[in-house]
Amino acid sequence: MLGDLINPYYLQVGSFIMINIILGLSIYITLSSGQLSLGSAGFMGIGAYTSALLTINYDLPIIVGVIAGALVAGIIGILIGIPSLRLTGVYLAIATLGFGEVMRVFLVNWESVTKGSVGLSGIPQIGRELLKFSRDSGFSPMSIGLKNNQFVYLMVLLILVIINILLIWFLIRQNKSRVGRAFAAIKMDEKAAEAMGINITYYKVLSFAQGAILSGFAGALFAHVMGYISPADFSYHRAVDILIYAVFGGSEVIWGSIFGAAFMTLLPEVLRFISEYRYLIYGLVLVLMMAFRPQGIIDVPLLQKLHLTKRRSKHGSKN
Amino acid sequence: MVLKINNVSKNFGGISALTDISFSINKGEIFGLIGPNGAGKTTMFNCITSIFPPSSGEILFLDENITGIKPHKITNKGICRTFQNIRLFSQMSVLENVLVGGHSQSHSGVFSGVFRTKSQRNEEEKLRSTARELLELVGLSEFEDAVAENLAYGQQRRLEIARALASDPKLLLLDEPAAGMNDTETADLYYLIKKVQERGVTTLLIEHDMPLVMRLCDRITVLNFGKKLAEGTPEEIQNNQEVIEAYLGSEGDDDIA
Amino acid sequence: MLLEQIINGITLGSIYAIVALGFTLVFGVLGIINMAHGEIFMFGAFIGVTVTSTLGLPIWMAFLAAIAATAILGYLLEQFALRPLRGKKGVSHLAPLISTIGVSIFLENLSHHLFGAGNHPFKSSFAEIHYTIGSITIYLVQILIFVISVILMIALSYWLSKTKAGKALRATAENLETASILGVNTKQIITLTVIIASAMGGIAGILVGMAFNSVNPQMGLSIGLKGLAIIILGGMGNVKGAMAGGLILGLAETFIVAYGDSGYRDAIAFIAIIVILLIRPQGLFGKKTSEGRP
Repeated sequence: MLGDLINPYYLQVGSFIMINIILGLSIYITLSSGQLSLGSAGFMGIGAYTSALLTINYDLPIIVGVIAGALVAGIIGILIGIPSLRLTGVYLAIATLGFGEVMRVFLVNWESVTKGSVGLSGIPQIGRELLKFSRDSGFSPMSIGLKNNQFVYLMVLLILVIINILLIWFLIRQNKSRVGRAFAAIKMDEKAAEAMGINITYYKVLSFAQGAILSGFAGALFAHVMGYISPADFSYHRAVDILIYAVFGGSEVIWGSIFGAAFMTLLPEVLRFISEYRYLIYGLVLVLMMAFRPQGIIDVPLLQKLHLTKRRSKHGSKN
Repeated sequence: MVLKINNVSKNFGGISALTDISFSINKGEIFGLIGPNGAGKTTMFNCITSIFPPSSGEILFLDENITGIKPHKITNKGICRTFQNIRLFSQMSVLENVLVGGHSQSHSGVFSGVFRTKSQRNEEEKLRSTARELLELVGLSEFEDAVAENLAYGQQRRLEIARALASDPKLLLLDEPAAGMNDTETADLYYLIKKVQERGVTTLLIEHDMPLVMRLCDRITVLNFGKKLAEGTPEEIQNNQEVIEAYLGSEGDDDIA
Repeated sequence: MLLEQIINGITLGSIYAIVALGFTLVFGVLGIINMAHGEIFMFGAFIGVTVTSTLGLPIWMAFLAAIAATAILGYLLEQFALRPLRGKKGVSHLAPLISTIGVSIFLENLSHHLFGAGNHPFKSSFAEIHYTIGSITIYLVQILIFVISVILMIALSYWLSKTKAGKALRATAENLETASILGVNTKQIITLTVIIASAMGGIAGILVGMAFNSVNPQMGLSIGLKGLAIIILGGMGNVKGAMAGGLILGLAETFIVAYGDSGYRDAIAFIAIIVILLIRPQGLFGKKTSEGRP
């Protein structure tokens, strides 16, 4: 009975939403200190390839690969971040865009390791490993009325949901702390922030590296959910996808990019005809958002209003 | 001696904004820096706070050479400033602005901030109570949760002072704090600066409101065209022929008497 | 062999220079980076293909059609993607960048739908004419590209420095407010700038189509990104820098294809950007910004 309700296709879409939310968070955290990075696709690729190669070639467990992928992306993020700090605004955006393209060109050309534009296949999948693990421990999905593939997709989604909750919790806590205040101060007025004793170099590199880690982490998860990756997965279009999560959903509050990632992932799935015109629509969305609502759909006043309506409705029920 | 300026000059692409300026400020003083527009007063502030380092000369703070070190380190050593064209974190709340001011007084990082360790919670509590105390000092307690950009002009200026005080400075640099204030607000500002002095903070003040400067300051240095014109007590300055001429020669809005 | 590579490099470099000039004009006047410039260029190339291959019309008609079409695109870009953001309070300086990225994505996919994906050959008997001098082969197209580029650059420099509209444009670039106080119709100048820049992109599009005999919807992105690389290399908003940067990149790419690994050709531009931004952020020809007073 439970089995009929759980459609593997929906579960997989759910997993992609979760991965894209992590990507949305990665651009949010970088923007929270006022930096626009278009390199997320590049960092995502680094994470994906690092983890895939480690697990394929050295038989390392997936979890080790994923962590290594995130860390390598983070280290490269620091290496790119420190010099890029001399750049502001649009220059940083272009330099990171250039970085993403260089990454892609390397992935295509370093054939002996990356298999070039064909990409890597046979990457260990989280779902299969889980299934193997549960079999070894004597548990059968059938005992709770699930087919194997249902069980697999369900478990993957559950793991990703838990990861997302932890990440969002982490970032919200950080926002409310001294570090988050420093990020926000730098975003609003860099000179004033510096005059208040904030080491802007440190905090900008910190937020840039956090964004890189998150992108790399999402990339590694992507590799182990898909089982197959190629350089085309980490192209300029991916960077635009990620950008639109924050721009459409809202770049000022964490819920903005979460909403943006979820909405933009669902949209082409729900409206099939849209997927053909997807980038046409994305293009229009970017232009229209900038003209009419540059802060994105979700902003601080909207959140406050939502809280207010909640409070009001409580009172209302009393009456 | 809190601050000692030794022969500081600053050039911008061949144009000299400051030429060979020297003065020093004693502990607990309110020291005025006045002069007609374009005399180099804000440039002096920018040199002291290292927004740009001087072209030559040196700046000593508590006998330590701080010339050209990073701006945030200047603040950590105990110098904090306000800005002539108010530079609050406009979308933050009033309280948050002061909390950011307390950045140099706190140390918690990503880990302790996220997991709220005991020391982090203590630190945050201390920051908040200091911030609230400072808001009370500048008379903004009731606006704690207001968004900074929604404050009235005079209130924004006072918030900047509270934010600067949150870094627990030994030397406070105020850049035209009375600009745009009405008479009542200016009167309040007088008492505020006096109260700051009672807290043991030394103040370096740039101001165009001459009655305020003359009443507040213990000593004054006058700049004109990037050069030092005179230094002395308010009385001496008011009677200095050169100073009077410099002011008469400029636009009339800065009447010295 | 070497001489032939140099000729190839100069041909490629001249096209890059024209693309970069389009970026530089818009940046100079508006202070924004027009991320849609590459796609406007690509549209110019497709118009060229349509006019010559599909309709079988002569090449000069293709130029006229491409100039007209890209000029209109430029006008629309200014009207719908740039003007609404100007002078609006609280709009981040990143807004025009994002808005033009939107236009670029839109145009790229529009051309997918209009012209179809994949490569379109640029059929023109013209492209086959070549001369052999000793061991070197020069195509007429190469000469044409070079000549057109030089003419465009000279015309642009002349127009900027000698004509009234050009002077108004430079005044606007110098300081928008002052220019408008002095009676320059800055709105008109801005529109004109975007239109001229776009039309130059259209011309470059046809030239590329002829030189490589291939046009596809993705070419806008790759050429656009190279144009960006060039203006960073040459100095933002600097006309001479755009020309020199274009030639440098064209030659560098040609040589790496001839003597190195052709796979890395597309990476050169970005490695150059990153290196330049780090060691000389103002670009090769840019003036160092003096530490301004706040």
